[in-house]
Formats: sequence, C-alpha cells, structure tokens
Amino acid sequence: MSAIAETAHRGQARRSMRIDGWRWGGRIFLVFMLLYTALPMVWMLSTSIKSGFAAMQFPPQLWPDQPTLASYQKLLDPQNSVGQDFLRFFWNSLFVSTTTTILSVIVAVPAAYAFSRFTFPGRNFLFFAVLLRNMFPAVIFLVPLFILMRAIGLVNTHGSLVLTYLTFGLPLAIWLLKGFYDNIPVQLEQAARIDGATRFQAFVLIVMPLSAPGIIATAIYSFIGAWNEYIYAYTFLSKNEQLTLPVGIQRFFSENTTDFPGLMAASFMMSVPVVVLFLVLQRYFVRALTEGAVKH
Amino acid sequence: MTILTGKAEARRRLQPDRSGVLRKIWEHRSDYAYVLPAIAVMLIVIAYPIYYTIELSFFNTPPGLQLRDKIFVGFDNYVAILTSPVFWRVTSNTLIWTIGSTFISFVLGFACALALHRDFLGRGILRAILIIPWVISAVAASYIWKWIYHSDFGIIGAVLVGLGWADRPPNFIDSVSTVLPSLIVVNIWREFPFAMIMMMAGLQTVPDQLLRAAKVDGANAWQRFWHVTFPHLRNVSTVTILLLAVANFNSFIIPWIMTGGGPSNASHIWITHIYELAFGRQRWGVASAYSVLLFLILMSLGYFYVRALTGNERKDGSE
Repeated sequence: MSAIAETAHRGQARRSMRIDGWRWGGRIFLVFMLLYTALPMVWMLSTSIKSGFAAMQFPPQLWPDQPTLASYQKLLDPQNSVGQDFLRFFWNSLFVSTTTTILSVIVAVPAAYAFSRFTFPGRNFLFFAVLLRNMFPAVIFLVPLFILMRAIGLVNTHGSLVLTYLTFGLPLAIWLLKGFYDNIPVQLEQAARIDGATRFQAFVLIVMPLSAPGIIATAIYSFIGAWNEYIYAYTFLSKNEQLTLPVGIQRFFSENTTDFPGLMAASFMMSVPVVVLFLVLQRYFVRALTEGAVKH
Repeated sequence: MTILTGKAEARRRLQPDRSGVLRKIWEHRSDYAYVLPAIAVMLIVIAYPIYYTIELSFFNTPPGLQLRDKIFVGFDNYVAILTSPVFWRVTSNTLIWTIGSTFISFVLGFACALALHRDFLGRGILRAILIIPWVISAVAASYIWKWIYHSDFGIIGAVLVGLGWADRPPNFIDSVSTVLPSLIVVNIWREFPFAMIMMMAGLQTVPDQLLRAAKVDGANAWQRFWHVTFPHLRNVSTVTILLLAVANFNSFIIPWIMTGGGPSNASHIWITHIYELAFGRQRWGVASAYSVLLFLILMSLGYFYVRALTGNERKDGSE
C-alpha cells in the first residue's frame, strides 16, 4: 500500500512542480512585458518633468532630482506663442475627431443594421467592399483625394479631414456595429412588429437602445482613430492655425529638436485624452472589437 | 452562404426564383435607404480614388500636379519600378518588417493572454497597462522611442555603457544594420496589445469542460494547450494574424517620423517609399503605379481576410 501511495504522491508532486514551473514562467514573462510596456512611458513622463539641462545629462537620471512642471506650463500657457499653438492644435484635434465620430455613427448605424438584418441584392458584394476598405492604406488614396479636395476647394480646411477620416471610420464602424446587431435577437423586433410598429420604428425604439454599448464602443474607436490620424492631416493642411496635434507637435519641434522635455510633455498631453477615454470604457470597446472575430 | 435572419429567410422562401434582378431590387428598395448614405460616402472617397489612381499610373505628370499636362506613357511606370534596385531593397525591407512585426507581436500577445487568463491580484491593472501603448498615438510613440534610442542621451545606450557592454552609445536608428530591427521593436511595442486583446477574448470561449476532461485524462499543461486550447483558437488566430499583417504592411507613421526611410533606404517600406515618390519627389505617375501594385497585393490578401472574417458566419448560416 505504502509503495503505491508513495509513487502516486511523488507523481503528484512532480506534476504540481511542473504546473508551478508554468505559473512562474508566466509571471516572469509578465514582468518582462510590463517593463517593456511601461518603461518607455515612464521615460516619457520623467523626461517631461526635467529641465532642458537635466535631460542632457550623462548618465541620464531615471527620475529627476529636481522635477519641474515648466514644460507643461509652457504648453498650457495661452500667453506665450508655444502655448497658443499647442492649445489651438488641441482644439483642432478635438473638433475634427468629434465631428468625424458623430458623422460615422449617424451613417454607420443604419447601414450596419441593414447588413445585419436584410438580404437585398448586392448585400454581400457591398459588405465585402466595406470589409476590404479596412485593408487599404491611406497612402493609396492620398494623391487622388488630394486632387479631389483641391478641386472642391477643401484643401486647408478641416472639412477635408472629416471627409477623409470617414474612409477608415465608416467601414470599421459598420463592421463593429454589425457584430452587435447580429447578437440582438430578431424576435424582439418581431414582437414589436406584431404590436403594430413599423420596421423603422422597431429599429429605432427596440434595436438602437439595445445596441447602445456597441454605439459607444464604435464612437470611441472612431474618435481614437481620428485623434491619432497623421498622414492626411500632414498632407492636406499647411497653415499653422489649422494643424491637428500629431502634425502640430511635429512642426513645433522640428525647429527645436533639442527640447526633449517639451516634446515628451506634448506627447503625454496628446495621449491623455484617448488613454482616459479608453480605460474608462474599455469593457465596451474590447467587446466590440472581438465580437466578430471570436463568435462561433 | 450568408446569415439569414428568420424573417428574411422566410421572405426569401416566399419569393419565386423566376423574379428578375430588377424586380428584386425594387422589392428591396426600402432596404437600400439604410445603406445609401454609407455607399455614397464610400463611392466618393474610395471608389473614385481607386479609379483615379489606376488612370494616373499610366501617365507621366509634371511636378506640381499640373494634370492638364500629363502624358500617356503606357506601362513605362511599372517597368521603371520593377527594374529599379530600390524596389527590391524596399520590398525586402517590407517583408522583414511585416513578417517580423506580425509574428513577434502575435506570439507575445498570445503569451500575455495565456498568462493573464487565470485570475490573480492586480490582473485588471496589469492588463490595462499592457494595452496602453496600443491606444496612444503612433506619433507620440515614435518620439518617445526616438528619444530612447538617441545616440547621445538615449537611455538604452546609457545603460549599455553603464554595464560596460559598449564603449559609447550605439546609433540604433542611424545605422543601416540596426535601423530596421530597432523600428520593429517600436512597432511590436504598439501592436502586441492588439493580439493580446483578441486572444484573451478567444480564450474565454474555450470550454472549461474540455480542459477539465483533458486534465482527468492525464494531459499536462502543454498538452492541454496544444491539443485543446490552440485548435479551438484557430479562427481567432487567423483573423488576428491577418489583421496584424495588413496593419504592418500598411504602416507609415513609425518609420516616417523616426527615420524618414533612412539611412540610405534601410528603413523604407512600400508605404513610406510611395509617399516619398508622390509628395517628396512629385513623381505622381510612378507613385500611382506603385499604389496599383500594392492594391493588387492587398486584394489577394483581402480574399483570405474576408474569408476568415465571414468564415465563422458561414458555419452557423442556413446550410
């Protein structure tokens, strides 16, 4: 009896050691990934609170002895020219991203609903075209859109950005929202129809409220995409007062490439709105993103 | 082949097959009202540009986009591309960049998802921190890493010198041999969270009973992963890898801001090269021809992409 029990016991011990090995491997790996992910962000923060002089010290300090908020004060001060520019870029980004988000949602909601529920001729082809757009880089569309914008007089206006941002915002919004509508039971609408609602009423009164989480997620996705967009803004806008943040901070620091604290402070300020938005609403967001890909 | 909702399917059954396409379209006229605004926007900003790019690829246009003076040159632009040594350089860079970034991002993201699958203290916070690089702007990321790689004041160089592993800080992004791997490190930093999110969602769908059954049958952790978890995640893995590959193939911001394609084209990939040809050197025709080639490559990738995306629909469809 004892021999068998001992063998079994030893086997179990070996097995739990092996499981522990996996668990420890996982932990060490996570620590490594945490360092890889977080250190660059810590380095951005720490540089942004250094003086220009402290940033140029060798060896560099990971955290400065004398932290200073001077770079942030400069960026947020409407009295000096740096602050004026930065705040203007910030508002431009906010305006363009918000407008794009509202328009994409308005256009995408009915389209996604139709792709989810109706079977009209050409539906598959059109949905295929929508999906396919997600694959094409902005660069392919850049030259013709530049010509088009010039022809209709939108170059150097925020309108050109809003219109082009729809090229990537819309397909994505349609795809994300369709995933949500697919998961809303069609019986709910049928019940409303039996109670005398028209199809459109059923859509607006029953389906839309149920898909609110999906609409929120789609809106965040559009907003983040527009907020971070660089190449169209870089190409279509040339006047300083119109620039959005990604292009603006580049213009800003190309003249003064040694102001790393300022550059890091601006990078931080540019990241704050989208990171906060994302962290607050990440539950919806992650669900929307993965809905289509993992269901089976 | 498609998902048919109950009502729609009933409607389809009622419809005799002899009805013509036009009649069908007419019967569904109210359906189109929902998609019309989307289609209109897409036609203006997507279909027209594609058509125009194809047209421009057969012309030579003088600098400044004086389109009235363009000259028809047939396939000359395409020949010029394929015979240029830069083309092969840029193409091999693109392959290294796309395959390297995609593969490593996927493996790291998947590993993170597995390590985060079990609940432990601080898991939510850790996950949130790991996702952040994906949300912040690529422009900000490019500047942060440019500063990290800085050849005089960069932190990595300083650490290497401090440890005595280097005499002076290396020129990570100013040297032909290290620039591409250095940029790939930045790109992976931004991309692995995406793979992590997708794979975490996928892991949640792996049935617990299966894993427990495998455990009862004596499968060890690796066998359970390899024979149960991984096959179950084939679909989501395919979609994730394809999305990553397409995104990496289409990258612009990181190489453009960090190096502008330099030094001596060592970090130029297709997209940055096309941009430089068009807006830097004003060779619109050649840039358009490049775009058409790119378009063809992406269309063939797109075939697999759409198949992977709609594949799981087909399974629970009407068949």
